[in-house]
Amino acid sequence: MDWLTEFPELGRRDLRDFRKGIDESFKSFTRTYGEAIESFFDPLLQFLIWLERLLLATPWPLFIIVVAGLGWLASRNIKIVIGSVISLFLIGYLGMWEDTMSTVSIIVVCTMLCIGLGLPIGILMSRSDRAQRIVTPILDVMQTIPSFVYLIPVVMLLGIGKVPGLISVVIYAIPPMIRLTNLGIRLVDKEVLEAADAFGASPWQKLVQVQIPLALPNIFAGVNQTIMMSLAMVVIASMIGVTGLGQPVLKAISNQYLAMGLLNGLAIVALAIIFDRISQSYGERLQKYRGDRGE
Amino acid sequence: MKKQMLSAALLVASSTSFAGGHSSCGDVVIGEMNWASGEFLAQLDGFIMTEGYQCNVEYLTAGTMPQITSMTEKGTPDVASELWANAAALAIDAAVEENRLVKLNPAPITGAGEGWMMSAAAAAAHPELKTIDDVIARPDLFPHPEDPTKGGLHNCPSGWGCQLVTDNLFRAFDMEAKGWKLIDTGSGAGLDGSIVKASEREQNWLGYYWAPTTLAGKYNLKLVDYNSGFDQEHWDTCIVKPVEECDNPQRSNWTKSEIVSLAQVDFATRAPQVAEYITKRTFDADLLNKYLTYMDDNQASGEEAAIEFMLNEEAVWSTWVSEDAAKAINKSL
Repeated sequence: MDWLTEFPELGRRDLRDFRKGIDESFKSFTRTYGEAIESFFDPLLQFLIWLERLLLATPWPLFIIVVAGLGWLASRNIKIVIGSVISLFLIGYLGMWEDTMSTVSIIVVCTMLCIGLGLPIGILMSRSDRAQRIVTPILDVMQTIPSFVYLIPVVMLLGIGKVPGLISVVIYAIPPMIRLTNLGIRLVDKEVLEAADAFGASPWQKLVQVQIPLALPNIFAGVNQTIMMSLAMVVIASMIGVTGLGQPVLKAISNQYLAMGLLNGLAIVALAIIFDRISQSYGERLQKYRGDRGE
Repeated sequence: MKKQMLSAALLVASSTSFAGGHSSCGDVVIGEMNWASGEFLAQLDGFIMTEGYQCNVEYLTAGTMPQITSMTEKGTPDVASELWANAAALAIDAAVEENRLVKLNPAPITGAGEGWMMSAAAAAAHPELKTIDDVIARPDLFPHPEDPTKGGLHNCPSGWGCQLVTDNLFRAFDMEAKGWKLIDTGSGAGLDGSIVKASEREQNWLGYYWAPTTLAGKYNLKLVDYNSGFDQEHWDTCIVKPVEECDNPQRSNWTKSEIVSLAQVDFATRAPQVAEYITKRTFDADLLNKYLTYMDDNQASGEEAAIEFMLNEEAVWSTWVSEDAAKAINKSL
């Protein structure tokens, strides 16, 4: 009855050869194509470095004024502006300014990439059931696979530093953007679309002027989730050498420095809230404006 | 609630049934380090204690600092097989003085070392890089990935003791002015990844690492000669401190790595035979490297490598254990 209690598994040697075979072929792949792939991502790296240097070279009052200005333009809400300014002052006063600038630079690029890639993929998914069937399981994998599993191959291909960090953050943070864009567009009322058809709208007009505006609440929920998740990934990304607020957090974890971990963790939270409130109120204003015109 | 009590009772019953009836060894918690050689040594100790001395072994896996803290503050684990003691020399010394911990084996691994190393490709292509000064003069050979005009030195991950040392020696050798920048590797996995990537592609790599390790052995990393003196007091009061507490670091050799097998005094008195085994258990780095490479080649766990070692190296381990224990172990093999 052994065969009932013992699972029929691959022999030890076969299993080892199987694993080694995969490892070896990946290694020879990186040996052959690693340089080419690295140079493909080089422009992205240069852009990241440029943005980080720009933020670090910007005088701090200017940066705070810019954030306050953006906050005002996007939200027209004085509370959000004051809150952002106060938290930035606190971050700087507690000695976390430079790390925060590094984190901001990577999060900005990350959010832009996620929106830039996620929105079209989400739209594609909403328009084709086949695309949805293919993309959904991929998103499931991206969200559940432990990050270190894909960090190993990414590090072997691209080394440590900003680009592999960025890639791992995007993999983790893009799924909600795609899912919620898809969901939002699919939830648009059939009647509204029929009306648009009746007015002779082209598919493009329907998409841009009817579906996306009506899907905005969901899309902005996606933006919010993307920002939150990429900030949450900052600590993991710093494990492969991304500079920023994640690094002191790691240092605090391994040395059990309570205050250091807490302060840097809270700085990440503050950034998340600033990013989120500004983008959300921008989204709300966008919808209000549409709504007013519609009435 | 009832269920909890029942399972608690079962737990007690099972643990006593294991421990009872056997020799004085009883329950042992072994501190298993979370890197290859630490895993291997802990599993080897565990195997020998279980089979040779009828101990009931459990493992506690963690990094150096948590292990030391737990040993000094909580009295567990009972044994740490491979502890890099420099990281917390003061805490360990204090506990030894208070007769709570005992350094059973002051050098379980001979020929170990840590410091800045370069990849085999760099050492082969540039034999003229003999000392640290030769290396520092050539930042162009080790370009920083984010700023190719500078040389890049891969630093130790944040939070490791070696990060402070590297930061201070970087200043002591005045490397910033000579065109160098530190590369933050973030974590042990990040540091390893950068070595594998560079070595697989035969690129130049310079950074902190230690031996005996799988990577140092497999990729033949070469330790850089610091070509400097060593002043213990300066090392202890400045080089190992955070940058803010070390105003004027001087060039220095890396301190000799002190690896110890540490045990609770309680345990050593309770199981003197096991303590004697640990005292005798000494590896030279080459032998250890052989089994680390075995682990890597076969993607084997520390436990598998320990069994492999027991099967193949009887001549080595039979000198460590008592005759009775050797008999018992041979029976189990």
